[in-house]
Amino acid sequence: MSLLDFSSDAFIVAFFLYCFGFLFYGVSALGRKWSKRSPEEHIRRWGRVAYIVSLLGFIAHLTFFFTRWSGGGHIPTSNMYEFMSFLAMAIMAAFIVVDAIYRKPLLGLFTLPLVVIIVAYAAVFPQEVQPLIPALQSYWLKIHVTTAATGEAFFAVGFAAGLMYLLRTVDFKKTDQRARREQRWVEFTLYVIIVIIAFIGSVFGFRGAGYEANFKQETVEIDDSGAENSTVNTVEYSLPPIFKPYNSQVVTMDSFLGIDKPLFETPHWMHGVDAARKLNTITWSIVNGSILYGLLRLALRKRIGAAIHPLMDGIDEDDIDEISYRAIAIGYPIFMLGALIFAMIWAYIAWSRFWGWDPKEVWALITWLYYTAYLHFRLSRGWHGSKSAWLAVIGFVVVMFTLIGVNLVLVGLHSYAGV
Amino acid sequence: MKSNRRLIQVLIFLGVIVLGGYAIGNSLFADGGGLPRKGSKPPAFALLDADGKTHRLEDYKGKALVINFWGSFCPGCVTETPDLEAQYKKHGDKPFEIVGINLSEDRLTINNFIKQYGVSYTILQDNNRQVESAYGLKSYPTTFFVKPDGTIMDVFIGPMGEQDMDERITKLLAS
Amino acid sequence: MSAFENTKCECGHQNPTGTVLCENCGYPLDPEEESSEAPLEMRYDGIARRSQKANPNPIDRVWNFFSSVKVAVRLIVITLIAAMIGTIFTQENAFISFDPTTYYEGKYGWIGKWYYKLGFSNTYESWWFIGLLVMIGTSLVICSLDRVLPLYRALNKQQIRKHEQFLVRQKTVYTGEIEGPEDVWTDNMAKQLKRKHYKVHMEGGALLAEKNRFSRWGPYVNHIGLIIFLLAVLLRTLPGWSIDNYVTVAEGDTVKVPETKYYVKNEKFTIDYYTDAELPKELKGTARAKLYETQAILYTCAADCDDPSKEPKLTEVKRHNIIVNDPLSYNGIKAYQFGFDDTPKLKAVNPVLIDKKTGKSYGPFKLDMRNPQLNFELGPYSLELRQSYMDFALNSDGKPTTKSREPNAPAFVFLLKGPGLSDKGEPYMYFPKQNDKARFSQDVINGELAERFELKVPAMEGVEFTPVETSLNIRYDRAMPYIWVGAGISMFGLLLGSYWQHRRIWLRLDNGRVTLGAHTNKNNYGMRAEVTSALRGIGIVVEPKSLDNGRNKS
Repeated sequence: MSLLDFSSDAFIVAFFLYCFGFLFYGVSALGRKWSKRSPEEHIRRWGRVAYIVSLLGFIAHLTFFFTRWSGGGHIPTSNMYEFMSFLAMAIMAAFIVVDAIYRKPLLGLFTLPLVVIIVAYAAVFPQEVQPLIPALQSYWLKIHVTTAATGEAFFAVGFAAGLMYLLRTVDFKKTDQRARREQRWVEFTLYVIIVIIAFIGSVFGFRGAGYEANFKQETVEIDDSGAENSTVNTVEYSLPPIFKPYNSQVVTMDSFLGIDKPLFETPHWMHGVDAARKLNTITWSIVNGSILYGLLRLALRKRIGAAIHPLMDGIDEDDIDEISYRAIAIGYPIFMLGALIFAMIWAYIAWSRFWGWDPKEVWALITWLYYTAYLHFRLSRGWHGSKSAWLAVIGFVVVMFTLIGVNLVLVGLHSYAGV
Repeated sequence: MKSNRRLIQVLIFLGVIVLGGYAIGNSLFADGGGLPRKGSKPPAFALLDADGKTHRLEDYKGKALVINFWGSFCPGCVTETPDLEAQYKKHGDKPFEIVGINLSEDRLTINNFIKQYGVSYTILQDNNRQVESAYGLKSYPTTFFVKPDGTIMDVFIGPMGEQDMDERITKLLAS
Repeated sequence: MSAFENTKCECGHQNPTGTVLCENCGYPLDPEEESSEAPLEMRYDGIARRSQKANPNPIDRVWNFFSSVKVAVRLIVITLIAAMIGTIFTQENAFISFDPTTYYEGKYGWIGKWYYKLGFSNTYESWWFIGLLVMIGTSLVICSLDRVLPLYRALNKQQIRKHEQFLVRQKTVYTGEIEGPEDVWTDNMAKQLKRKHYKVHMEGGALLAEKNRFSRWGPYVNHIGLIIFLLAVLLRTLPGWSIDNYVTVAEGDTVKVPETKYYVKNEKFTIDYYTDAELPKELKGTARAKLYETQAILYTCAADCDDPSKEPKLTEVKRHNIIVNDPLSYNGIKAYQFGFDDTPKLKAVNPVLIDKKTGKSYGPFKLDMRNPQLNFELGPYSLELRQSYMDFALNSDGKPTTKSREPNAPAFVFLLKGPGLSDKGEPYMYFPKQNDKARFSQDVINGELAERFELKVPAMEGVEFTPVETSLNIRYDRAMPYIWVGAGISMFGLLLGSYWQHRRIWLRLDNGRVTLGAHTNKNNYGMRAEVTSALRGIGIVVEPKSLDNGRNKS
């Protein structure tokens, strides 16, 4: 098992290298104002350092991937942890490809944090190597998952460039209605990203502190014959309970900031799988995210978007628009091949039908239709620039919902990939 | 050139109307779970009666036919049996048959049932639920009324009262 | 668009209605384009779409509706939203048996009620969703047809010498004075471009270089593939084109596959779980399936297929160990591992008859749950089976009945005859399961007879259970090849259109001055780089950015 331990270490190394890569990209963008060198020279130098560090991170990530493959006996794309870290790796690869074409160091400033967040998010999930259940024992696991993720990775780069475009072009000084609306939405997008960071931070913070709370929940169900069956389940929380499960008793609960009993009870109509725990986690993420956002606002003394906007000065916006479009145009055929055609072939072999309107399948189709619409919109002149950038940003939300939301919110055949 | 273009347009629209109409029509008249529809032909069967004689659906061609799926475990099936028997006696002189297909129970149970209720119409034994699933049954009893031309006049799901039975059989005999 | 349009270009060419750029020289005809200074709208090379006519009739109007990309995108967006709504709650087809009229309201309240009422509980099979797909299909055909033919004609008879307006309003533009004779300059330039795999055409001081024109057909090939795919999906619904059946086969049994002439035998069914040694420590002790396998044999029926009084004569055609990702496949018929049932069901018991007075036991005899033997001779005694109940219960009249046909609580009524018993025999009720015997108080029912005799299974070996049942999904899908062909063509077209770009460079020389315009359908960045590199080849050094026309407005 030492190969797997080595693999985990490589994962951590990759994570930190990505963090540093991001940091250096930050230096390259921020520092040109106070650097002694000429701005171009500064960007070129630090952009290069950042690129090399990120590339090293990518190499460490590849090492993680292949050692885990060899140590675990199957390709590490079979559960959420493995898939998310593969996605992050694919985004890095897509970034390297797009960067090789366009040579825009600042693209890294937006892609790297995305990679860092996804790698960290992957680590939220259980990390042990799980032997494959019969449904996954097929070489299509390698082909389907990797191609689909690669397509999605290009969409992610398209998203990063789209967001970059918006931060470059949305004028935070203007006060007309249209500008204000765009400012609000850009700010909201950034806020959502901060909430996601807060979510990951909260999970790791409390996990590091070893926080635990247990509940006994009684659920009453009426079966077909009309008899009442009540079952008692134990529900475990790793975050302090703001919301306790509906109709439950505390078994054990660590106290947090002097709070030693749950503040609220989850309403009874939320009865999905682990609904109470999810509600609690979301509440924590929003609370912490809002605090984090507030602190950032205090420190910057202006909106975050307004703070980032000046960093983008001098970047050719049409180039970013093209990068965003190009990344999506490169990713689209790969996505169709992996997420629809290979998926259909595998579904035909494993489940006897090539299409069954399973939620995951439907969402892959929705993603495909979405980007189909995007590409057709691009045909007309009015949909370049900021509209197109917004579409790229929203498109990535659709992608993420397909990858994560479907597993966490909806039910279906792909549920083995869940938490 | 110009008439050519019009021809292509018309052809494409015709294609769309035929294919699209077929697709939409299919979804509009989709059958809920494969139960044979009114007007269609019931699936063929070949089953044994109590004496080990083979009976086939085509043997009943040209006669008004009632196919009744039943089981001794289904209370509704048991209650409607005497009424079916009465109908069978009443129309004995006409080209009319009732076939009771048992839901894959065993010989002994079927024979006891025939004896207990004095059933004189044909009782057949299904095996491994094959005919039952070919007919797409979801609940019991289910009764099919088949016209002499071999098409289904009506399908009744659930136990029938005397009147339900009488109405349909009268209509069936008139067809 | 005005009712009357002058479609005659200043170069003398007569263009069809709706033309944006003159088919011949490329001069902008559209008044809006003509007065603007922005790069030209080069979509479909500025040709008139087929359907654009001066006086449309109703058929033309419908045609024009479907011919619009805007309409197509709207259709896509509507379909997308409908598909999203369809994933909110579980669709009806995911359930085997339930009542949708009450399920959605019961589980999700008024939202569920309306979800069902509006037909979203069966979104993907509903007439309106299929209707949307039909409309998208129509739009695919008409949009493509309307554009591909004129585009083909336009690209096939391109004018080499274009209007100056056309050149300077491309997205990539270079103008400059040249040194030396004009024809030497163009020859050099042609050489450079040929090295970049361009096809070069020249005509008196004008040049057209073109490459990868085929990529323009990519989207149309893609659309053809999608249409084939949609038609193939429609084919599947024709009667006889697809079969979808489930068979449950106990180990050792052979079962007929409904709707076919095939029989399938389950030789052996295996379930393997991962051992603790194979599991990570977090999962140790959990049952994690490793393998579901049915060793299956497929037969066709040679004779006596349709006669239940005779055993069918079977011929083996295929033997295969079916696992989840590896179905049995024969002549288009496929058998997939779908599930299994290993809950023990009583198959037979082997009881003995005990004479309680003498302590002597007679038997054992085999009592099958299904179609049991009716008479048993046990020493001096005989048993005659009179009644059997698979799932014993008392009905509302207090009479014995069976609740189902599964041997959940089997009960048997025998007539016991022999020495010391009445000649007609005495009824004896027997519950093979111990807990039923107590639950229904067998001894009370049998009364005085229970004190003299007992039917009893002497040891656990006397109880037989049905073997594990595998359930197989039997499929036949004649349309599958067409589905794959459609998907393949569509993918091929997409690759053509996405990863190659149609690039064209025009240039004209007028009195020692060169005007160069270049156009690509995608990736202007690469186009500029290529023009820069070609210019460098003949000694003109420019920054790629400087070729960029009409952008960086500041």
